[in-house]
Amino acid sequence: MDYKYIEQLLQRYWECETSLEEEAILRAFFSQKDIPQELLPYASLFQVEEQMTEDAHLPADFDERVRQMISAGEPCVKAKRIRWSSRLHPLFKAAALIAIFLSFGMAIQHGWQRPEAEIASVDPQPGDSTSIEIVDEATAETGMPQDSATVNETDTY
Amino acid sequence: MREVSFTNDVLPLKDKLFRLALRVTLDRAEAEDVVQDTLVKVWNERGKWQEIRSLEAFSLTLCRNIALDRRKRASATNAPLTEREHQMRDSLPQPDELVHRKERLRLVREAMDSLPEMQRTLMLLRDVEGKTYKEIAEMLAVTEAQVKVYLHRARQRIKKTIEETENYGL
Repeated sequence: MDYKYIEQLLQRYWECETSLEEEAILRAFFSQKDIPQELLPYASLFQVEEQMTEDAHLPADFDERVRQMISAGEPCVKAKRIRWSSRLHPLFKAAALIAIFLSFGMAIQHGWQRPEAEIASVDPQPGDSTSIEIVDEATAETGMPQDSATVNETDTY
Repeated sequence: MREVSFTNDVLPLKDKLFRLALRVTLDRAEAEDVVQDTLVKVWNERGKWQEIRSLEAFSLTLCRNIALDRRKRASATNAPLTEREHQMRDSLPQPDELVHRKERLRLVREAMDSLPEMQRTLMLLRDVEGKTYKEIAEMLAVTEAQVKVYLHRARQRIKKTIEETENYGL
């Protein structure tokens, strides 16, 4: 049998001039059982390369280990059953907060407006003893009429 | 565009990655760790999977870089003889031709393992994985001309080993 073609291919293989298809032909040729004596030494190269493919096996649990490593880096997401009452909790909280603000607001507003409202509600009739008493108290404390006290304060500045 | 999944597209690359890692590190345990790290890193880059032209080339490049980093850190030494091969030599006497053949295989393997890392990787990518010069050049970030130069050197060295073994005996 003439092995000239194989010899030529081999020669071109060493010079890196073969295509992938031609290299596949060489590999197929050297994987046979009957190889001529003169080409036999070169078979070892292709056999070693084939061995590399066969030997390279990862352990059976490798995939599982990789999956565990990957899932370990992920945040744990679990499904949790939520009831209707739980879903409305934020709404209740918001409503409670609004109610507190409103009541505080109303209380403050009411507190500021109360003295004026009370005074406004008093009917300034000449015979009303309450209004006379207030004026009297102020006068008694300062020892002088209201207008003159204001003038004194301004002087001291 | 097709959806890329870890189980269908990335995990099946493990054997190729292992072969490459093994060629770089020359150590099975180390190579296994390299493949693990590579797969985790590829997973962490999942946001870019759709943009990557070839996930296989991307993974192989990543694998080689991780293997080189680890090798540099551990300053691993070449230990090409595996336990299996030692057993092969220490076994009972066999017919001459078989012994001769096994010894030749061992010597070629040793010669391949003793090549510089770049040449070893190139031989694997070309002869075992069947990659084109262009693909290899992209993976290793070198030119096609450089790929051919390195591969030529590697093949010539193996050829020389084989011929010396035949001419001067084992």
